[in-house]
Amino acid sequence: MGHHMPPPPPEEVVVVVKKWWPPDETRLGIISAVIAVLIVIFPGLPAVIKAIGVIFALVWGADSVRKTSKYGLGTGVPSIGYFAVIGYGMVGAFTGMAFSRYGHLGPVEAGVLVGVLFMAITGYISGILANTPKLIAMKIPRLERGMMELGAAGTLAVLLECSIIAGTTRWEPVLENGINTGVIAVILILSSLAMFHPYNACLGPDEIRERTLKVSVEISGLICIILGIASLVTLGGMATGIQMIIFGVIVWLVFYVSFVRAAIRESHSVTGTGLIKTIE
Amino acid sequence: MEPTILLIVLVCVILGGVLASLGVHLLPVGGAPAAMGTATGIATGAIMLMFGSALTGLFTAATVAMFSNSIVLVALSGAVGAMLMVSIIFLFANVTYIFGAGCVPVSGRVAVDPITKELQTPYKTPQTDGHGLPSVCLISGIIGGFIGGFGGALIYFALINYAKLEYAMAGVLAMGIILANAIIAAYNIRGTIEGFHDPKFRTTPKALLVCFVASLLCGIAIVLALTTGVITGGAV
Repeated sequence: MGHHMPPPPPEEVVVVVKKWWPPDETRLGIISAVIAVLIVIFPGLPAVIKAIGVIFALVWGADSVRKTSKYGLGTGVPSIGYFAVIGYGMVGAFTGMAFSRYGHLGPVEAGVLVGVLFMAITGYISGILANTPKLIAMKIPRLERGMMELGAAGTLAVLLECSIIAGTTRWEPVLENGINTGVIAVILILSSLAMFHPYNACLGPDEIRERTLKVSVEISGLICIILGIASLVTLGGMATGIQMIIFGVIVWLVFYVSFVRAAIRESHSVTGTGLIKTIE
Repeated sequence: MEPTILLIVLVCVILGGVLASLGVHLLPVGGAPAAMGTATGIATGAIMLMFGSALTGLFTAATVAMFSNSIVLVALSGAVGAMLMVSIIFLFANVTYIFGAGCVPVSGRVAVDPITKELQTPYKTPQTDGHGLPSVCLISGIIGGFIGGFGGALIYFALINYAKLEYAMAGVLAMGIILANAIIAAYNIRGTIEGFHDPKFRTTPKALLVCFVASLLCGIAIVLALTTGVITGGAV
């Protein structure tokens, strides 16, 4: 019997390609926080640059939602996004706008950072209390950091979006153009959507961080379009509005196409290997 | 602004936050299992349920606050609005469970309904955690809506009448404080709870303590903002 031994299968070579995007969670947090803070303290910047700050703040928030919810929050994933923006984000933005006239240095208005800092501290303390074994005992690793980042990212996002609508972070113009007109409702709901929807929609065994974060940027594009339409009639003005709409459409198209392509490409690794079998 | 007024605002914010947290513990929350009819309660997270009902409470409270300066009246109208919303949700959930899915509303945590003394266990499908909303959950949930709506309206009233904020701003801030406290309560109940008869309800004081600290910090943030003197609205 000419028993022909099949050649041993070649050893799998795992090539780890270090991609520059997305950076790991800590780096993404630091990069986004620095960019968003730098943009928020210069209220005179054009709206499109503020929109880039919004995108970074929301991606940071989406990443925090992802790493906090990974430990089985289930129906709590949307709630944590609402909590970040409408809960701590709104209170922080209120405090920040009240302090925005302090800390002037040329074009820099550093007073708004009081709100961001205060909400980061509040988030950290509530994270510690929620993780304490004698109190709520959530036992989620790094919940403290997650809650802190959610508070800071939510506040930054709301402040930047109010700044796009009103052209400044001062209380009076924001109240007149952003809050009393009702745009604030759209800002709050869409920003929380950009934070929780990526992980809520993509969660599962084959969830990939890069693909999840693309959804967040895509929703930020939609936010830019809506903020552009709103700035047509508010203090932002016609030119700002049209710029924002064009910017939003480009961001949305690029990241939507990129997300769908990634989803099609990565779904092959499931269907192609037959991991999920149909019942015969 | 005078220190007494700031103190009243702080107290109202803390009280409202803690009441919202207590209200969440009383609502029958079923989470994802309830969506398949295998757990008692409404098929969503605790925060969505509290958010929806307290927001309706804010609408009724805002309507009454337009022509009343009585804190009790405004807070109670908020409570009634929230109760109404919760009751409507419960009614339609029960209609769907009973006539759509064909299951009997039954509690999975107690053998006998503590209020109506009806037997529960014989009607429960094996391997499930109850279905629909039995009487005790309904009553507990309505009490929860009352407490949550009362807390939300209290914050709203303090913000427009003492802090003199604009209506829109006060509503948004009240909503935010309710949400921040509701999520801490939701962390504590871990997914599902049936109401005051649930064994998990005994852990409520722990969540109330954490909510007290969180509301205190939110309240300090609001009071700090008010001390700058920038915040003007002249609502009333």
